[in-house]
Amino acid sequence: MAEPTHYPELSFESRMGSVEFRVAEQAHIVVDDRICADCSTRGCVVACPANLFVPTAAGGILFNYEQCFECGTCYLVCNEEGAISWSYPEGGHGVVFHRS
Amino acid sequence: MSNVATPAFGAPDFDAVVVGAGPAGSAAALELARAGRRVCLVERGPYPGAKNMYGGVVYGRILDTLLPNWWEEAPVQRWVTRRQTMILTETAATTLDVRNEAWGRPPYNGATAYRPDFDAWLAQKAVDAGAVLVCSTTVTGLLREDGRPDGKVVGVRTDRPDGDLTAKVVVACDGVNSFLAKEAGLYPTVDPANYTVGVKETIALPRDVIDERFGVRGDHGVDIEILGCTGDVPGGGFVYTNLDTVAVGLVLSLPELSRGDQRPEQLLARLKAHPAVAPLVEGGDVKEYSAHVIPEAGFDMMPELVGDGILVAGDAAAMCLAAGIWLEGVNFAIGAGAAAGRTAARAVQRDDTSAAGLAGYRARLESSFVLADHRRLRDAPHLVMGELAQQKMPRVVNGVVEELFTVTNPDPKPRLRTILRRQMKRHGVKWRDAVKDGLRAARTFG
Amino acid sequence: MLVAACVKWADLRPEVDPVHGTVRSTGRSDGFSEADRAAVEVALGLAEGWGARVAVVCAGPPAAEAGLRELQAVGVDRAVRVDLAPDQPSEAVAASLAPVLSALLAADVVVCGDYSADRGSGSVPAYLAHLLGAEQALGLVGVAAHGDDGVAGVRRLDGGRREDVVAGAPAVVSVEGSVATLRRASLAATLGAGAAAVEVVPGRPDPRAEAPRTEPWRPRARHVAPPEGDDALDRVVQLTGAFVERTPPRTVELEPAEAAQAVLDQLRAWGYLEPPGRPD
Ligand SMILES: Cc1cc2nc3c(=O)[nH]c(=O)nc-3n(C[C@H](O)[C@H](O)[C@H](O)COP(=O)(O)OP(=O)(O)OC[C@H]3O[C@@H](n4cnc5c(N)ncnc54)[C@H](O)[C@@H]3O)c2cc1C
Ligand code: SF4
Ligand code: SF4
Repeated sequence: MAEPTHYPELSFESRMGSVEFRVAEQAHIVVDDRICADCSTRGCVVACPANLFVPTAAGGILFNYEQCFECGTCYLVCNEEGAISWSYPEGGHGVVFHRS
Repeated sequence: MSNVATPAFGAPDFDAVVVGAGPAGSAAALELARAGRRVCLVERGPYPGAKNMYGGVVYGRILDTLLPNWWEEAPVQRWVTRRQTMILTETAATTLDVRNEAWGRPPYNGATAYRPDFDAWLAQKAVDAGAVLVCSTTVTGLLREDGRPDGKVVGVRTDRPDGDLTAKVVVACDGVNSFLAKEAGLYPTVDPANYTVGVKETIALPRDVIDERFGVRGDHGVDIEILGCTGDVPGGGFVYTNLDTVAVGLVLSLPELSRGDQRPEQLLARLKAHPAVAPLVEGGDVKEYSAHVIPEAGFDMMPELVGDGILVAGDAAAMCLAAGIWLEGVNFAIGAGAAAGRTAARAVQRDDTSAAGLAGYRARLESSFVLADHRRLRDAPHLVMGELAQQKMPRVVNGVVEELFTVTNPDPKPRLRTILRRQMKRHGVKWRDAVKDGLRAARTFG
Repeated sequence: MLVAACVKWADLRPEVDPVHGTVRSTGRSDGFSEADRAAVEVALGLAEGWGARVAVVCAGPPAAEAGLRELQAVGVDRAVRVDLAPDQPSEAVAASLAPVLSALLAADVVVCGDYSADRGSGSVPAYLAHLLGAEQALGLVGVAAHGDDGVAGVRRLDGGRREDVVAGAPAVVSVEGSVATLRRASLAATLGAGAAAVEVVPGRPDPRAEAPRTEPWRPRARHVAPPEGDDALDRVVQLTGAFVERTPPRTVELEPAEAAQAVLDQLRAWGYLEPPGRPD
């Protein structure tokens, strides 16, 4: 039996590095962080599997769309009407799975 | 996503447009093409399956009628001949282990497969039957008759230049977030409590290591469902074997996940470190991390299935059977997609694709396993995701087993009844609740 | 008039084992690189301005034809696949492409991506220019039409500086991926793309490339006569050539074109270059 090589536990960056993203020029999700400023739950921060919602010192949310799984978790858990405008990226772009 | 437009004059481009080349969409397109209809299958990924992830097992019985001998050519990783249900606490595990060699022979039972392989294969079947597949094309909205917002659906708008596509009927198989079903007004409300999110790692390990660790040979594989491994968040875990990778993942209820303080990958790391799971999955290289939302509430969250000029099938209509950790969605999607395809083909033939002309869809589903199973297992999600099954039962079960198998000489062995009573009391389970849920479970699964 | 784009079918996301460093191609992620897609867009843009036709040529396996059909949907008039196994050296790729570009297509301007995604050296465009006897402008970060058949480009220089270059037809240019984003095909063209025809011509594989080298590369051994002399110092002086007469280094300050000429003249004087003249 071939011994498996032991690989170190993943950092979040290499975890996301294992996924292919064909990044579109246009953001498919836009977060209005003026609305986030009033949000007490911040559900998106802990729930987004790609960890794309980062609270800022100013009390808002910094959001990057590039490494998004397009799963829908964020708009489903979002607390405040209108904070997230969510759509799919341009055809052929965004996440591409190979072995899932 | 609310494009209301006037369609071009003249004959529609296609008899039917199917949105989404997942299992539901490809099955619908296959049936439409076989019935001789001109059908276009639109997929936003660069190839079918590029956007899709799941736990790992396809139950292929539904394919028997659609594609006889499908097992000779389907892109299967391993045939599941061993199924385990694991009940965990932080330090203990109790496992129900079932083996059946018959599941490793035609006509088989479950198979692990990668969705990019499986979905592309199924879509190719539709293309072979005559469907036109366009990838890298996102549908952004519905076209309505005369441009009226409440007019009959007469096609879709895509994000390509000159991207309107007209058709007599639209079959929405666009998955769990189905913006088309929502735009068509078929979903009354969307409640996050009805959804879970699944995350998973695909971990490469040498094939013989997998054989050894999981106790299987050749192309046989294992499917493990796990309860009690998600901390305070209702959900469950899974481990599946592919040929030279292992999939390990979690399904997590959205409201509690978003209220908690543990991120999905942190919960997953805890599962991977559990003494019952670590020896199975450790040491490999993570080839892909993935995430996807699951419609969890089954029958109780289903939308209207038919509108004027539109049908909804698969996850788009919440047809995934998710009794907590037991996930069957691909087979339900194929069953529903095929029924939608047949209904649409008939309606086109009779030249009536109004809501009335498409009404036969629901009846078809009611008489098949798709809605029959959903109706019967309506309570299952609540049972498996409830506090009793999630938090207390794993402790009681493992506590009872621990006491039963711990030799306490010179004290005499306690009676099972005594142990059970003691454990239930310790973990705050009331007989009343246990009996109530037990009866509900008996009614649901019995 | 015809503008041709050369594209390579390559694995855009090969798997690299993080511990062993081995690279494995799964075939799941084959396609045309960003730079090659930019090259197609540049070709389309140039051709629009000139009213020219556009062809795309790919030296690669049959799997590339699906990708070529997609390019036809985008607006390419003619697609040719040169049947060539993957992993051929740049010389063989260029030798396979050149006759297609010159004889079959009579291309006036050829646009390539700067590097192919699979560890390419970026030398195919240079070989092509040489074989076609064309002017070349490689590694461009900006391109525009120059007159009726020329290309004006911008090239990176060291120290953040830029250089403007002009190449007149026949010309070979290569572009970075950031130069342009390939336009999207219309829905109708995409629906029709399945039926588009891809011409196939045989390639010219390099016979030496068939047996891959398995040992590390070592420069060929060269015979050096042992130094003569009884004294160790004499032998060292001889070996190092310390007192031998030599041409002293020369510093010249010239305009770029003259400087290039001076370098060429010197190389020729030393016998490094063949006498001027165009090889066939
Ligand atoms: C973590 C997890 C584990 C699971 N485990 C299992 C399991 O082990 N076994 C099982 O049977 N099921 C499982 N499921 C459920 C199963 O994956 C789904 O039920 C099934 O994929 C539903 O198929 P579908 O065709 O309805 O939707 P999908 O598979 O989601 O397909 C929808 C398609 O539509 C496309 N699409 C969406 N919107 C647009 C648009 N606007 N324009 C163009 N295209 C669009 C998408 O790209 C996608 O290809 C699991 C799900 C998850 C998330
Ligand atoms: S949950 Fe919604 S409103 Fe709150 S921080 Fe996140 S995106 Fe903003
Ligand atoms: S869709 Fe999913 S991955 Fe993308 S931002 Fe929202 S939660 Fe994160």
